Amino acid sequence: MKTVKISSLQMAMLMYPTIVATAILSVPNLTATYANQDLWISPIFASIIGFLTVFISVRLHKLYPEKTVIQFSEQIIGRIPGKILGLAFLFFYIQSTGGITRSYAEFIVSSFLFQTPIIVVIVSMVLLCAFAVYGGLEVLGRITQVLFPLFFVPLFLLIILLSPEYEFSNIFPILERGLLPPIKGAVVPGGWFSEFFITIFLLPFLADKKKGSKYGILTVFAVMITLVVVNLIVLFILGNTTSSKTYPLMNISRYISIADFFENLESVTMAIWILGTFVKISVFFYVVVLGTAQWLNIEDYRPLVWPIGILIVEFSFWAVPSSMAFIHYEITAFPFYSVTIQTIIPLFLLGIAFFRNKNRNRNKKKETNSVYK
Amino acid sequence: MPKRRSHFIKKFLIFISFIGSIFLLSGCWDRWETNDIAIVTATAIDKKGDNQIELSLQIFIPKAFGMSSSPSGGAGGGAVKELTFVISQKGVNMADALSKLQAELPRKIFWGQCKVFIFGEKIAKEGIQDHLDFLLRHPQPRERAYMFVSKGKAKHILELQSRLERSSAETMRELVDLEIGLKVTLKDLNEMLTSEAQAAALPYLKTMTEKGKKKSFQFPKIFGSAVIKKDQMVGYISQRETRGILWIRDEIKSYTVTFEPEEKKGNISLNPVTAKVDLIPQINGVNWSMLVKIQTEGTVIQNNSSLDTSNLSNLKVVEKAFQDGIRKRVEFVIEKVQNELRADILGFAKEFHREYPKQWRKVENRWDEVFPKVKIKYDIKAHIRKEGYINKPMKFRIEEEKE
Repeated sequence: MKTVKISSLQMAMLMYPTIVATAILSVPNLTATYANQDLWISPIFASIIGFLTVFISVRLHKLYPEKTVIQFSEQIIGRIPGKILGLAFLFFYIQSTGGITRSYAEFIVSSFLFQTPIIVVIVSMVLLCAFAVYGGLEVLGRITQVLFPLFFVPLFLLIILLSPEYEFSNIFPILERGLLPPIKGAVVPGGWFSEFFITIFLLPFLADKKKGSKYGILTVFAVMITLVVVNLIVLFILGNTTSSKTYPLMNISRYISIADFFENLESVTMAIWILGTFVKISVFFYVVVLGTAQWLNIEDYRPLVWPIGILIVEFSFWAVPSSMAFIHYEITAFPFYSVTIQTIIPLFLLGIAFFRNKNRNRNKKKETNSVYK
Repeated sequence: MPKRRSHFIKKFLIFISFIGSIFLLSGCWDRWETNDIAIVTATAIDKKGDNQIELSLQIFIPKAFGMSSSPSGGAGGGAVKELTFVISQKGVNMADALSKLQAELPRKIFWGQCKVFIFGEKIAKEGIQDHLDFLLRHPQPRERAYMFVSKGKAKHILELQSRLERSSAETMRELVDLEIGLKVTLKDLNEMLTSEAQAAALPYLKTMTEKGKKKSFQFPKIFGSAVIKKDQMVGYISQRETRGILWIRDEIKSYTVTFEPEEKKGNISLNPVTAKVDLIPQINGVNWSMLVKIQTEGTVIQNNSSLDTSNLSNLKVVEKAFQDGIRKRVEFVIEKVQNELRADILGFAKEFHREYPKQWRKVENRWDEVFPKVKIKYDIKAHIRKEGYINKPMKFRIEEEKE
């Protein structure tokens, strides 16, 4: 690989929209389904998975500083099992990218471009992301640096503009049915927090490696705070109807009305969502392409961008038959699937690697000792 | 040589892809120019026949708006040209009626500016949830639109003219915005009907007639509120009672309180009046009670009584009368809501749920039975802080000068 370098701040800026973009629109209703008025507590529980994943990722990175999971899993569990595991990772990321692209397109088609064929929305987004990925990680990092304020500031604005409508007492009673409902609500966002495992594909390219883990943890924290705040503002405005809405953030952003003319700001939400999804799809796309290249031992990943782009478009259609099925998948299968692939398997990898290294070190020590004898 | 050729092909492909993306940029499929849409300003839903509804839309005429604003246009010479027209169609549900309406309109129906939804009384008594489903599911209607129930046919209200505003819809919207009566948006209605109490109150519209010299003029007026329980309209409360509800819900604004101090002839009016209202639920064994705590302050705007409010002992009498006046208003409506309508439009259920989640869960399913039994306690503190630009009532001065 050529010497591609991004800063750890850029990594944080890549990761933040990657998690927040999909979560922000549907997380309030998915958590409210289980946790009702305690929906804001769920992201806090869910973030534990995020912290754990970042910890695993950073640890694995320290053991194999120049390599991604596709490469070092071969070293840890052997060539053939490593390849199989790599394929599992790749399949997961290709499928996820397809799913994200589809949910993005469903949202656009169902709220803004009613007449536009969904394929056009999907293809234009994937095309754009393909260009970004083709440019490489440095390009991605810099785009995000430019786009990040455009992503974050409108979100912040939304919170302020909605403040006259808040009904704070909607938060009571807190923990009405104990801790179990918010924990149940945390399962779905937990799946998203698990996506922090993607840092394993970015850490080898950091220019300032020491700050990597610090920024990783900071990003998890920022995502958690964002989700808590978003859940709270949705709760303050929609109250007990939160769980019945498909896109609660849309509903509340259109509820803004300041001085009778500053209204109908749903396009702000759309802008946030599109920007975020662009970053998210690009990052996932990059991971898939880089991973595939490493899995096949190809020096340069660029020739793979276009074929995999087509595969992602296909997967976005194969993924789900309808938006209801997608939500069903998101609630039932996705959290466990995502956590298994991105947190539990890496945890095992880390465990095995840890013991192997220990053994190796001990053996080395023995050898050195025997030499001295 | 082959290298140069591949270079050319590459350039050509990039060029083609740039050209290709031009077609995507315009978003052709969803190109909606303003002259392609019919802007709905208000919607009325009425019952028609046995199983059908009649959907009426008030649609804005942009052409007329341009004409009336330009001085040279309009041959009528001062005659106000109507800026809206009403069309209606019947159907089995809203979506069905809407598709039939669309067939009659050359432009695409656009809901984004529809700020008023009116249910006819008949359909409100039958049930509104089926129609709310459409309004909440369809991506265009706004959650901020105001909801009403009308006496008689709702369509009739849309057909009325307006003297000050552009249309009757605009009149109603502005009326609600003044916050003299209830202000209920689609979001609020949805929230209230799915809340613990499952009851809501909507402003109730009536058509008033003002007889002029040449011809009479008809206009819509908010006349109390319609009470909706679960799905159906179960009753009606008067404007006076609605004010009581506003007091309890802490929604009074731009509101004048007029009362008569005991045995002192004449009235005193206060405006503006500010209030802080707390509902404090209390459970003592099986006795559920609600403490209505009101702290209010007012400024004298007119004093026709024989009391000089600058005298502090008189002020106490007046404040006492103010306090009793409010208590009467509130008691009056609580009595009616609890015993006659049996619909918790005051939000008591929510308060009990928040304060006593465990006890609440036991009565959750039979709140209808519990609600009328909830005892009401009052703690009302009323003060008069300012007496306006003059101190003694005017008639005092005249009497003093005579003496």
